Amino acid sequence: MAQIFPRWTNELPLRLAAASVVVGGLLVAGIWYYFSPEYTDVGYQPVQPVAYSHKLHAGELGINCLYCHATVDRSPVAVVPPTQVCMNCHHVVKRDAPTLAVIRESSANRRPMQWVRVHNLPGFAHFDHRPHIRAGVGCAACHGRIDQMEVVALSEPLSMSWCLDCHRNPDPYLRPEHEVTNMDWSAPKDQLQSAALIRSAKNLQPPLDCTGCHR
Amino acid sequence: MSACGSACGCGGGSPPSGTAARKEREHWRSLEQLAGAVEARAFLEREFPVGASEPPEGIDRRSFVQLLGATLSLAGLAACRKPVEQIVPYVTPPEELVPGIAQRYATTMPFGLTGYGLVVESHEGRPTKIEGNELHPATRGGSSAQMQAAILGLYDPDRSRQVVQRVAAPAALENRAWSDFVDAWKALEDGYLASGGAGLAVLALPSSSPTLFRLAGAARQRFPQLRWATWEPVSEENSLAGAALLTGRPLRPSFDLRAARVLVSLDADLFLGESDAVSYARDFAEGRRLKSESDSMNRLWVVESALTSTGAMADHRLPLASGQVGVFTIALASALAAAGVTLELPPGIPAMAPPQVPPTWLAALAKDLAANAGRSLVVAGRDQPPAVHALALAINGALGNVGTTVVLREPVDLLTPSTTELTGLVGALRDGAISTLIILGGNPVYDAPADLRFEAALAKVGNIVHLGLAADETAERAHWHLPEAHFLEAWGDCRAADGSASVVQPLIEPLFGGKSAVELLRLIATGEEQSGHDAVWESWSVLLSPVLSAEDPFAFDNALNRVLHDGLFSGSAIEPAAATPFSPLSAELLGALQESGGDSTDSLELVFRPSPATHDGRFANVGWLQELPDAMSKMAWGNAALLAPRTAARLGLANEDGVRLKVGSAAVELPVWIVPGQAEESVVVHLGYGRLAAGRVGTGVGANVYPLRSSAQLGFAAGATLEPSGQRHRIAQTQDHGSMEGRPIVREASLEEWRREPRFAAEMVEVPHSAPLWEQHKYDTGPQWAMTVDLNVCTGCNACVLACQSENNVPIVGHEQVRRGREMHWLRLDRYFSGTPEQPEVVFQPVPCMQCENAPCEQVCPVAATTHTEDGLNAMVYNRCIGTRYCSNNCPYKVRRFNFFNYTKDTPELLKMAANPDVTVRSRGVMEKCTYCVQRIQSARIDAKMAERPLADGDIKTACQQACPTRAIVFGDLRDPEAQVNERKESSRNYVLLAELGNKPRTSYLARIRNPHPDLSPAVEA
Repeated sequence: MAQIFPRWTNELPLRLAAASVVVGGLLVAGIWYYFSPEYTDVGYQPVQPVAYSHKLHAGELGINCLYCHATVDRSPVAVVPPTQVCMNCHHVVKRDAPTLAVIRESSANRRPMQWVRVHNLPGFAHFDHRPHIRAGVGCAACHGRIDQMEVVALSEPLSMSWCLDCHRNPDPYLRPEHEVTNMDWSAPKDQLQSAALIRSAKNLQPPLDCTGCHR
Repeated sequence: MSACGSACGCGGGSPPSGTAARKEREHWRSLEQLAGAVEARAFLEREFPVGASEPPEGIDRRSFVQLLGATLSLAGLAACRKPVEQIVPYVTPPEELVPGIAQRYATTMPFGLTGYGLVVESHEGRPTKIEGNELHPATRGGSSAQMQAAILGLYDPDRSRQVVQRVAAPAALENRAWSDFVDAWKALEDGYLASGGAGLAVLALPSSSPTLFRLAGAARQRFPQLRWATWEPVSEENSLAGAALLTGRPLRPSFDLRAARVLVSLDADLFLGESDAVSYARDFAEGRRLKSESDSMNRLWVVESALTSTGAMADHRLPLASGQVGVFTIALASALAAAGVTLELPPGIPAMAPPQVPPTWLAALAKDLAANAGRSLVVAGRDQPPAVHALALAINGALGNVGTTVVLREPVDLLTPSTTELTGLVGALRDGAISTLIILGGNPVYDAPADLRFEAALAKVGNIVHLGLAADETAERAHWHLPEAHFLEAWGDCRAADGSASVVQPLIEPLFGGKSAVELLRLIATGEEQSGHDAVWESWSVLLSPVLSAEDPFAFDNALNRVLHDGLFSGSAIEPAAATPFSPLSAELLGALQESGGDSTDSLELVFRPSPATHDGRFANVGWLQELPDAMSKMAWGNAALLAPRTAARLGLANEDGVRLKVGSAAVELPVWIVPGQAEESVVVHLGYGRLAAGRVGTGVGANVYPLRSSAQLGFAAGATLEPSGQRHRIAQTQDHGSMEGRPIVREASLEEWRREPRFAAEMVEVPHSAPLWEQHKYDTGPQWAMTVDLNVCTGCNACVLACQSENNVPIVGHEQVRRGREMHWLRLDRYFSGTPEQPEVVFQPVPCMQCENAPCEQVCPVAATTHTEDGLNAMVYNRCIGTRYCSNNCPYKVRRFNFFNYTKDTPELLKMAANPDVTVRSRGVMEKCTYCVQRIQSARIDAKMAERPLADGDIKTACQQACPTRAIVFGDLRDPEAQVNERKESSRNYVLLAELGNKPRTSYLARIRNPHPDLSPAVEA
C-alpha cells in the first residue's frame, strides 16, 4: 500500500516547531518595538498654527527657554507663552510678517492661540516640572535639542520605563542648576562624581513609588 | 467576641473584675441585624450585594449585545490614534496667576441669618474646592457637607441661563436680556413712585447682609407703601421671638459651647441641624477632648423626638415627642426651682413631667445643672415654639449662664424672618392689592406653608418677578424669571451669628450672566443699575469708617483689602447687649405650652425637619448631597416617614411600606423607615424632597411634605394619621453596607470605666503572636503617614465624606446603584447602635482606607495595581487595574470601591469644571479607594523641597481632616515625635480595627467615652 504522506512530512513537526519559534519571536519582537512609544510616539511632529521656529529663536538668537516658558521653575506646567510674550518683540520686530498674521490677530481680537500639544502625558500620570528643574535635569534631557528643531518634535518616548530609568539612576542627567537651560551642555568627565555631589547637597530622592506620578 | 476577658484575665494576674465592671455592649447597625434577619446576613456575607455585578436595569439583552458590539468596534478604532490635545495659553496673562498653581480666596456663604466664612480653591479661575476659613467665627476652618457641596451648586447644569419673560398672548416664554427687564421695570417705576409704592411687594429671604439691609431700607424709603415680607421655611424666627418674649426687645441669642460643662438640648440638633452647627460642634468637641484619664469632659443631655446626631453625641438621651418638650421644660424649670435655683414660675402651673420621663432622670439633670450654674447651657431647637425658647432662656438666666454661655446681642443688619409678614403678604396678594411682586430668591411656591395657598394667591398678581438660581416651581409661575448669580459669582456681604462682618467675594464671573439680590434690590431702591461690587463698596465705606485714619488716603483700600484677604472684618463682632432684666413668664404662655403637650392618644405627631442633605429643598439638584447617606437613617436619595420601632409595630408597618401621611385634609404618600431611638407616636419627615422642577438630579426624588405644613405649625403638628397605602417603595440605604460582622469595631466605655481600665480598647481583643512568613518591611526612612480618628468627638455630620468626594473626584451612582451597594464614597461613615431599639446609644465611625502595612489587598492583586509605597501608603494605580476585584474581596475593612460603570462618561461639560485637576478621573472597571489624599502629600513635599525646608507637621491636611468641624481626624508622620498624630496614638484610647489579623493598619481610632451622671450610671441602676 502506497504511503499516504510523503516522506518529508516526517520532518513537519520539527519544521512547525522551528517556524513557530521564529514567527513567535518575530511577533514578540515586533510588538515590543512597534507598539512601544519608542516607535509610536517619538518623532511626533504636528503642524502648529504658526510656523514658529525654535531653531531660530532658541538656537540662533539664543533666547533663554525661561523667557517664554516662564513658570517652569514655579509651577508644574512650563506654560506655552501667552500671545503677549510673542508681541513683546514682534510689535517691533517683523511687525508685518505674513507668517505672524495669526499672532497679531490673536493679540488684536483677544482670542487665544491654539497650539498642538507635543509632549502629551496620559491623564493618569501627573508630572511636575519644579522638582526636576531644582534637581538639575536639563531641558534637553527630556525635550531633546529644541534649539535645532525647526518644528518641535517629540524626541523621547515619555514612557514609564523611560521615566523610571532616570528615577532609578539620575546621575548621568544631573547638572548644575544654572546649566539647566543650556542646550549645548555636555557631561563633564567627572559627571558621576559631580552628580553624586548634587544629589547629596539637594537631598534628591527621585520617587520610585507609583504615587510619585499616579494619583 | 469576648476575647478581652481572657486577655485581661491572664495579663499579670490582675483580677478579672475590671472587665466585669465594664458594661458589655453589643453594637448593631440595623434592626434587621439585631433580629438576625436573612437579608442583612446576606449583605454581610457578600463582598458586594447580590446582583451588584449585573448590568443596570432597563437594558434588555439585545440592546446590551448591540452596545457591546459598538463598544468593541469603537474601542478598536479609537485606539489607533492618540487624541490630539490643544494648548490654549492666555492672550495676556492675569497678574498673580501662575498656571498650574491653585489660588485660594476667602469668601462667605450667606445662609439665613448667618454666613459661613470659606476659603475657596481655584484652578486657573475655576473654583474647585471649598474649605472653612480658620479666621471666621462660623466655621473656624471646619465646614459642613452643604458648604462643601456649594461647588456643585455653582456648576449645576440646570441653572437658568437666560432672563425669561412669560408673555400673555400667545402664552409662551420669551427669552429676554437683563436690559429688557430694566426697561420693563423703568416703565412701571414712575407709577409706583407716584403711588408711594402701593401695589408693590417684595418677598425676600432672611439675611444678615449689611448691603441688603441698607438697600431694603432705601427701597422702603423710596416706596413708603411697599409691602415687604421676609421668610424662609427653616429659620431662627422662634428663637428671636422667644428672646423678645422675655426681654421685650428683639435680641438675638447665640451660644458659646466652649464655656459649658453641662449642656441640655431641648429638641435642638446642635451639631447638624442648627445654622451654626459647625462652630457649635467645634466648641463642644473642645470640651471633650480627652488627652489623659485625669481630664474631665462636658456632659450632654438631649431630649428630642427625632434621633439626631446631637442625640447620638448625648451622654443621656431621652426620646420625647416634640410637642411634649415644652411640658418637659416646665418640669425642668420647677425641678431646678426645687433644687435651689432662683427661678420664678407663675403659680398654678402643674410641674408634672411627661410620663416617659423617669423622675430620677429629671432630678439628676436638675442637680447637674444646679451644680454647674454659670457653666451650663440649655438650648431649645428652632422647631420649638417661642415659649420654649423663652423658658430655656429664663432657665439660663436663673443659672447665671447669660453672659457666659449665652450671649444676647442687638440685631444689626438683619432682615429677620417673619411668618406674620408672609401671611400678611399672601392676604394682600389674595385681595388683589399687589400688582407687582418681586421674589428675591427662594422658592415659595414649593415651600410656603400650605394653608396660605401661596400659589393660588399668585394668580391675582399681574406681574411676578422671580430672581432664582434655577427655573424652579416659583419661576414657572413668574412673569419675569431672572437668573441669580451664585454666591461664588457675586459680590455681597454678611454677618455671622456674633455679628462679625465679612465680604462675599466672587471667584468667577457669573457663568450665565446672573444678577445678585443686591443688584436687583439696588435697581428697585434707587432706580439705577449698579454693580454688586459698587453697592458693597458703598456699604463698606460706612462699615469700615470707624477704623480708618483720616490722614491716610489709602486707608479704605487697605482696610478693605485686609477684609477680603482674611475673609473677615476682625473686631466687627457686636458687643453683647447690656444686661436686660427678664420679664416673668406669663401663666397663659406656660399654660398654652402645657395644654399643647397634652397626650393625644388617637393620633400621631408629625415633626418637620430640614433635610441634612437638601435643607429646605434648595440643594435638591446637588447630586453629592442626594447621595449622601443620612447620618442617622443612612438613607440616600429620598425621604421617608421615620417611625419608632414600637409605633411601627403598633401600626403593623415595616420598612419600605408605603403609607399615606395625613394632617387634616392634606395627604402625602411616602415610605416608612424605622429608626431606633425615635420618639414613640411621633413621625419625623424631612423637608426638601419631592421637587417638581429641581433639575435632572433632584426632580421627583422623595416626597414633598410641604403640603402637610401649615403656618401655625411649622415645626411640628399634632393630629397626624398614618395609614398603609398598600404600595411598596424602594429605599436606597447603606446601613448594612460594608459591615464587619459584629466584631468589636467600635469600642466605647464610660469615663469611670476608662479611668479604671485605661487600655480597654486595645485589650478588647487578643492579638495572637504570630511570626511573619516573610521579612517585614522596616518603614524606617522618610515620613511614614498615619491617621487617627477620635470617635469621642465625631458627630457624624458627613462633612468628611463630602470633602473626600469633592477632593478626589468621586462620582455619584444614583438611587438604583446605591441600593445595590455600589456607592463610591471613599470614606464611609458607619453608625452603630447599642442597647435597646427604643433607647439606643449611638457611635459614629468614619472608615477610610486603613493603609495597612501588611495590606491583604496587595497580596492578591494579579497585576500589582495596588502596591505599597516607601512612606507607608497603600497605593492604587488605576491604569494598571484590570478589575478582578480580588483586592476588594480580600479587604477586611470593605473600603475599596469598584467602578461598575463609566460613571463619569456622561458628565456635562459644566460639571467637569468642579473636578480636581490633581486627581485622575477613573474609568469603568477600575478599583479605587482612599489614598490619604496622596495628591496633597506630593504637592506639599514638592512645595517643601522648593522652599528648601523639611516638611512640618500640619503641612499636609487630608480633605477629611480639613473639613472636620470637631478636628476628630488627625493625619501626620509617625516618625516625627512632635507630630500631633503621635500624641493621639499614644493615648490609652487608641486602637486599630481588627488588630488580630496582623494587618498593621496605619489608621487608628480613639475609643468613644461617655460621661453619664453618677446618679444615673449603670452601676447605680444595677
